[in-house]
Amino acid sequence: MKISGSNELLEQIQNNNLCVGCGACVGICPYFKAHKGKVAMTFSCDRTEGRCYAHCPGTETDYDVLANELFNKPYEEKPIGNYIKIYGAKAGEKAVNGSFQNGGTVTTLMKFAMEKGLIDSAVLTDSIDMIPDPQIVTKSDEIGNFSSTKYMASPTVSKFNEAIKMGHKKIGVVGTPCQMKAIGKIKSNPLDREEFKKPETFLIGLFCTWAVDTKNFIKLLESKTDISKIKSMDIPPPPAEVFILKTETEAIEIPLDDIRKIVPEGCSLCPDMTCEWADISVGAFEGRSGWNTLIVRTKKGEELINSAISEGYLTVEEFPDENVTHLTKGSVGKKKRGLAKREELMKSMDQNDNGSATAPSVVGFR
Amino acid sequence: MSIFTEEQNGTRHLLMGNEAIVRGAIEAGLDVAAGYPGTPSSEIIETLAKYAEKNNHYVEWSVNEKVALEVAAAGSFSGLRSLAVMKQPGLNVASDFLLHLSASGTRGPMVLLCADDPGALSSINEGETRFYARLMEIPLIEPGNFQEAKDMMKWAFELSEEIRNIVLVRTVTRLSHASGNVTLGERKESVGKAFFKNDGFILDPMEGSVMSAPVAYKHGEQQVKLKRCAEIFEKSPFNVYEGPVNPELLIITSSICDLYSKEAVSLLNAEKRVGILKLGTTFPLPPKLIEQYLAKADKILIVEEVLPFLEESIKVLAAELAPTIGAKQFFGKANGDIPMVNELNPDIVVTALSSILGIEYKEVDEEYKKRASEICFFGSPARETTFCPGCPHRASFFSINKNISMDNRSGFTCGDIGCYSMGMLPGGFSTLKTLHAMGSGTGLASGFGKMTKFGMEQPVVSVCGDSTFFHSAMPPLVNAIHNNSNLTMIVLDNSGTAMTGFQPHPGLEVDATGSEAPKIDIPSVCKGMGVNVEVCDPFDLAKTQETLFKFLESDGVNVLVLKQICALSPEKKGKKMFNMSIDDSVCLGGECGCNKMCTRVLSCPGLIWDRETEKSTINDVICIGCGVCASVCPSGAIKKEEA
Ligand SMILES: Cc1cc2nc3c(=O)[nH]c(=O)nc-3n(C[C@H](O)[C@H](O)[C@H](O)COP(=O)(O)OP(=O)(O)OC[C@H]3O[C@@H](n4cnc5c(N)ncnc54)[C@H](O)[C@@H]3O)c2cc1C
Ligand SMILES: Cc1ncc(C[n+]2csc(CCOP(=O)(O)OP(=O)(O)O)c2C)c(N)n1
Ligand code: SF4
Repeated sequence: MKISGSNELLEQIQNNNLCVGCGACVGICPYFKAHKGKVAMTFSCDRTEGRCYAHCPGTETDYDVLANELFNKPYEEKPIGNYIKIYGAKAGEKAVNGSFQNGGTVTTLMKFAMEKGLIDSAVLTDSIDMIPDPQIVTKSDEIGNFSSTKYMASPTVSKFNEAIKMGHKKIGVVGTPCQMKAIGKIKSNPLDREEFKKPETFLIGLFCTWAVDTKNFIKLLESKTDISKIKSMDIPPPPAEVFILKTETEAIEIPLDDIRKIVPEGCSLCPDMTCEWADISVGAFEGRSGWNTLIVRTKKGEELINSAISEGYLTVEEFPDENVTHLTKGSVGKKKRGLAKREELMKSMDQNDNGSATAPSVVGFR
Repeated sequence: MSIFTEEQNGTRHLLMGNEAIVRGAIEAGLDVAAGYPGTPSSEIIETLAKYAEKNNHYVEWSVNEKVALEVAAAGSFSGLRSLAVMKQPGLNVASDFLLHLSASGTRGPMVLLCADDPGALSSINEGETRFYARLMEIPLIEPGNFQEAKDMMKWAFELSEEIRNIVLVRTVTRLSHASGNVTLGERKESVGKAFFKNDGFILDPMEGSVMSAPVAYKHGEQQVKLKRCAEIFEKSPFNVYEGPVNPELLIITSSICDLYSKEAVSLLNAEKRVGILKLGTTFPLPPKLIEQYLAKADKILIVEEVLPFLEESIKVLAAELAPTIGAKQFFGKANGDIPMVNELNPDIVVTALSSILGIEYKEVDEEYKKRASEICFFGSPARETTFCPGCPHRASFFSINKNISMDNRSGFTCGDIGCYSMGMLPGGFSTLKTLHAMGSGTGLASGFGKMTKFGMEQPVVSVCGDSTFFHSAMPPLVNAIHNNSNLTMIVLDNSGTAMTGFQPHPGLEVDATGSEAPKIDIPSVCKGMGVNVEVCDPFDLAKTQETLFKFLESDGVNVLVLKQICALSPEKKGKKMFNMSIDDSVCLGGECGCNKMCTRVLSCPGLIWDRETEKSTINDVICIGCGVCASVCPSGAIKKEEA
């Protein structure tokens, strides 16, 4: 696998509009910076190998490395990734209430993980005026402030980089599939740096079909309402095909087709819906409002969930077979679309250029 | 004892061209001088200002060249001897007034000295003064050596007195900034007493109103003056012929090219074949004199820099004279023997001559040439043109560039004229994307800021220096405000006109002669225009960037004044703000995570990349201790300690 530098990163990812702004390249050097939901390079760097390139979820990735790191085995192509169990879940009776997106499983488990000492810090995502604002949290009672989904692509991984720099050894992260993939790559220490101290992590992945570009999202919202009045956002299950903005007084519906127009190009290449590179993955429970779908992927995840259940922090239910089928379908659909799009892109790159720029390819994903 | 205050008639001195010019003006009995700095002209006003009190002169740095010409003209209208000084681009600025002045005529003797810069040694253009003489219909004289620089300057005042119109004197960098022997002449008394007569008959050139109307009448008068000049020029001692009575080839040249031509003829030992007619009076040409010399040879080579000013005028004359002098063969710009860009040198003239005359000439031994070019290539390290250590402009451009990149909307910065024009170059992080005339950055930005109507969403920034702000950036700022444009104007206020040598400007408490003067406060001026203004220290990168982000994201016109005195200014020179050091054990060097942010990106000359240790170090001799590198170091290896 070839690791290149920032120039190739720009050439392959940024200049092809494939950057999803996850923040993996931010916070490790003085050159890549995140601002208002976008990642940009400030001054040029002439290194031929860099962590920016190695960490980016859009560049060549060895899935076996990621799988070995997380699951202690090579990558197996499965529609919804490696998993131990799937539940229907929501915050238990002992959990603190909050304005959760769905069942509050994420917030509750992160809090629980910190209170149990599994993590000393958590990388979570808030927003200010609709601009994603990832932060490092070290007090468990602050975790609740981060509940609810910000649909904007967020440079959350930059804060994971920062947490490592600050010396945190047990870091919890909530993130989307691209963010989790980047974290897997970071943990694999791709440049074999001696000084890299791999932190313990507890990774909660979020299901994701796409995120939206922050600046365009703000523009779209501003055309609908005063954005300071927006209290929450949601995507009701199909066949609704709408995005709902809730203010104190009204619910504004935006056709999903309008939202899809402002999805970063990079999202269309993503083959992961259920967030495979995490200890547990959480999404909405289709058809059951106030509940989550919870996929337990690792031993670590399983242990935490078992104690959360037994201590009354998490309520779970069997996940119906037909829902598994449905989830699998959705997941396979995204994989197919993502891979087809990647293929198409690689072709167009080969055509319109003299071979210097190569499209990012996937190793281990056949 | 100074030659600028004493008589010293008949003594010989080694003088710089510009000093010779000053002495010439003083010998002419100067009263008033005004100018705006610009290389290679600046030493003239500087020197006059230094001795202004002793000489009872009024000397000022004006806000711009147009005003300088107007101030000098007021001297002339008051009956005094006056001088305006500028570099060529300044003449473009002053040209509107000049058009009207040349038609209204002058009273006291008035001279306009313009310094051209063929080859753009310290300019971003090869602007031509000579064509203005034709366009404005005023006489043009051009000294060809140091003695002439003094003598012709003195004579220019006499000529102006005789024709009652302004006289244009043109010098070039290689004359203004080189030195030669000059024998001083007699000093005339200054006029010393000013009175503006204005109640005479309206058309009376000495007592009526001074104006260019009625146009046909005044224009006609002006042309009569010009005819008179041509007659005077027929007998001018500054038109000199040297060479055989009937040369095979006649060189016609002027200005410093006379020296190049002489050297070329001598290098080729062609003194017996080539004659040189050096013209000191280049507009209007004296036709009889030209006829006399054209008649001597069949082949004519015209040697002049940049555009074919002489060449075209002489060809017109030759066409008219053809019935008496016959057809001539011309060499010069038109046939490609003399290039139309860049300055000339003896080698270029030698090449032209050797091809015309069929003389073989080897400038240097081939082997020598080869070795010299090898040594130059391998022996001298590549060096980037960059800002001085501790230059506030470096810090400003670092912030501007970083903010515009992070803002990520393809924003751009319109540049302007000053030291900060180097913001175009890698040393300024290639921040500037346009660069034209003084004040044009903000004018362009004002226009760009209105392109939103056509879907342009790129943030627009302009920069201008403090001197440039007063010179010509205020009108475009007003324009932007009034027309509801969207831009951030950044005034890079380093408390002086740095590029040209720290001349004062209206923003400072001192005038050209060093006396106390009221200062005009830039932020107050902007506030008065009704625009939002903030002032930051560019060395405070965090505050500067925070403010700039705010401005980039807000609508309308915002002004950010980045105020920090120039590192080389006499007030600051040698005073360190911080003692800097680099902790080797923390410095990441070329590793991923830094990759020489300080030496490779910021690239202040005060920082050295130590190839052996592969770490950065501070060059204590050069570092002025601004502390900026400590703010850009990603690992905190660069330490600053209050000095
Ligand atoms: C961009 C995006 C797209 C999604 N798409 C789908 C989907 O198609 N189908 C589906 O079933 N579920 C999707 N989800 C997940 C879903 O919206 C809920 O986040 C999830 O069900 C957890 O619910 P909860 O009540 O447990 O979360 P909460 O307890 O409310 O906690 C939400 C957590 O999400 C984190 N977070 C919020 N926004 C971001 C962000 N932009 N980047 C990283 N972390 C963030 C916060 O830090 C917080 O910890 C998406 C989430 C995001 C962020
Ligand atoms: C019309 C015109 N007049 C004069 C000059 C010469 N000139 C070049 S830079 C400069 C001074 C700029 O000073 P300032 O704007 O304060 O910038 P600084 O050099 O101090 O950074 C001048 C006068 C010019 N280029 N054009
Ligand atoms: S402190 Fe740093 S940036 Fe400033 S002059 Fe010294 S070396 Fe240059």
